[in-house]
Amino acid sequence: MLVQVLNGLVYGGLLYIVSVGLVLIFGLRRIVNFAHGSLFMIGAYVGFSVAAMGGFWGAVLVAALVLALAGALLDVTVLRPLQREDPIVTVLVTFGLLLVLENFAQFVWGKDFLKMPVPAMLSGSVSIFGESFPAYRLLVIAVAAAVALGLSVWLRVSRIGLYVRASSADPLTTAMQGVNTDRVSVVVVALGAGLAGLSGTISAPLLALSPSMGSYILIESFIVVVVGGLGSFVGAFVAAMVIGQVHNFGLVYVPWAATMIPFLLMVAVLIWRPTGIAGSHV
Amino acid sequence: MTAGDAALEEAAPVRARRASPVVAAALAAAAIVLGGVFAGAVQSTLLMTLLTQAIITAILATGVGFLIRQNGVVSFGHAAFYGMACYTIALAMRHGVMPIEAAILLALVLPTALAFALGLVIVRIPGVAFSMLTLAVGQALYEFATKARHATGGDDGLTVNLPARVFGVSTSLFQDPHAMFVVSWAVLALVVLALAAVAASPFGRLTAAIRENEERARFIGYATVLPRVLVLTLSAFVVAIAGVLFTLYNAFVSPDVLHWSLSGSALIMAIIGGPRLIWGPAFGAIIFFFAKDMAGDVTEHWQAIIGVILIVVMLLLPVGLGGALARLWRRGAGHG
Repeated sequence: MLVQVLNGLVYGGLLYIVSVGLVLIFGLRRIVNFAHGSLFMIGAYVGFSVAAMGGFWGAVLVAALVLALAGALLDVTVLRPLQREDPIVTVLVTFGLLLVLENFAQFVWGKDFLKMPVPAMLSGSVSIFGESFPAYRLLVIAVAAAVALGLSVWLRVSRIGLYVRASSADPLTTAMQGVNTDRVSVVVVALGAGLAGLSGTISAPLLALSPSMGSYILIESFIVVVVGGLGSFVGAFVAAMVIGQVHNFGLVYVPWAATMIPFLLMVAVLIWRPTGIAGSHV
Repeated sequence: MTAGDAALEEAAPVRARRASPVVAAALAAAAIVLGGVFAGAVQSTLLMTLLTQAIITAILATGVGFLIRQNGVVSFGHAAFYGMACYTIALAMRHGVMPIEAAILLALVLPTALAFALGLVIVRIPGVAFSMLTLAVGQALYEFATKARHATGGDDGLTVNLPARVFGVSTSLFQDPHAMFVVSWAVLALVVLALAAVAASPFGRLTAAIRENEERARFIGYATVLPRVLVLTLSAFVVAIAGVLFTLYNAFVSPDVLHWSLSGSALIMAIIGGPRLIWGPAFGAIIFFFAKDMAGDVTEHWQAIIGVILIVVMLLLPVGLGGALARLWRRGAGHG
């Protein structure tokens, strides 16, 4: 039972790190990045390649940095020029990017599933209240907790965090107060993309790597973001945790329906509250 | 010029045409006859196979495009309705519970009903979130089809045991590229005509008004949820027609017909062709198929190619290739 809860935390934690990047970008720019899952996927592959050469910790760092850089590039070359357009335009352009990135990964790393080994240091398991649990999975939970904590502190105390929170509450008033979203968005989008890269790498030892893993996680994180309420950090956290648990208990008790449960949960939440758990605005 | 102005501008000729149902019927008849003559003139089975696939998918894209045109929202999940139609026939035939004609009817009704029920929940969700939701809902159905192996055969798919005759017509006719081209082409012509009539009707103009400003339409006193639900329902119905044709033609279904990449392709066709025109998405579908065919040696990179095309069209030609063509045509007519 405890092991199940912990496994749910692992999955929920990974989902949270990916989803919170979407929330950050949505909060500031009011757009949804359909290529976000691809950033996660590229992060996993970059991590895979670097880990083969320079070890696991180097891989985590490099993947996060490379993806942060890619995020900055995405902001400057795509999101910024499109900000006056209908958000749907950005959706479709980033969807085009998704296709290109998936093809790119297929070209560089091949179509076959790749498996990244768990770092030797964490390959054992730990005993928790008499039940053994893989040490690596504990690390994933710890990283997710650190990201959640670090991010909420950053959002509270930094000026950029203030702008992001203000903008996600009311973009128009925020702009009228003289906040120039362009000046902070490079940092925010880079952070969101970097988190996608980070989660890609740390989830790589738990998943089979394939170019299509990006669209899978994209759909899952969309569910998290929609259930949580678009633009809400707390909502995304709660939704990721709930979906992590639901997903995991589903796999154990109703395996044939497990993949359906998050979707049903989403539809139920939307009937109950069309703007998500924490959402007062979309 | 905003997207809305452009949409109304493009819609104008359709309104003018509506004035005479006789002209519209004549146009459809001419298109159908032309299709028949064309199929008779072309010998190449390869070309007809390609075209038949393109036309069936064009009907799918037309449904997706109609939703963009009337509701201003982009669906990433229409394969759900398409695939549901395919699987309805496949499963009904597998268990032999009903005659094929009833199965076809059910294959049209079920996705339409699902779209209506779903629409009541999701049309209130604006813009970008709607796209995210349709993607998720569509993929839910895909997951279900791959997991329910005992019923659907999972990833292996199902061979559809069609009877010898469908609606009194030999089934082999539906699997002959030449004959099926004529059938699909005629269906496409009728669908485009019907959708043009809907778009030009008071209902079509009401939904266009809601698309432009939902709040204002509500203030004037219109109910704004139900019309949008009906547009979604109608677009799902069109998509289900395409699913039925696909199943009759291929006599095989696999979860690919539910996968989001099919929804995505249909969406890309609609965007490339120009969803502001009723016929734009169908035009886009045909271009898509020929471009894919021509890509030939580099099909491995087809996904990247189509991604780049999508980006370029979005950035440089938001009216789509069909829209650009229509503009040229009007300019030519204006001078002439």
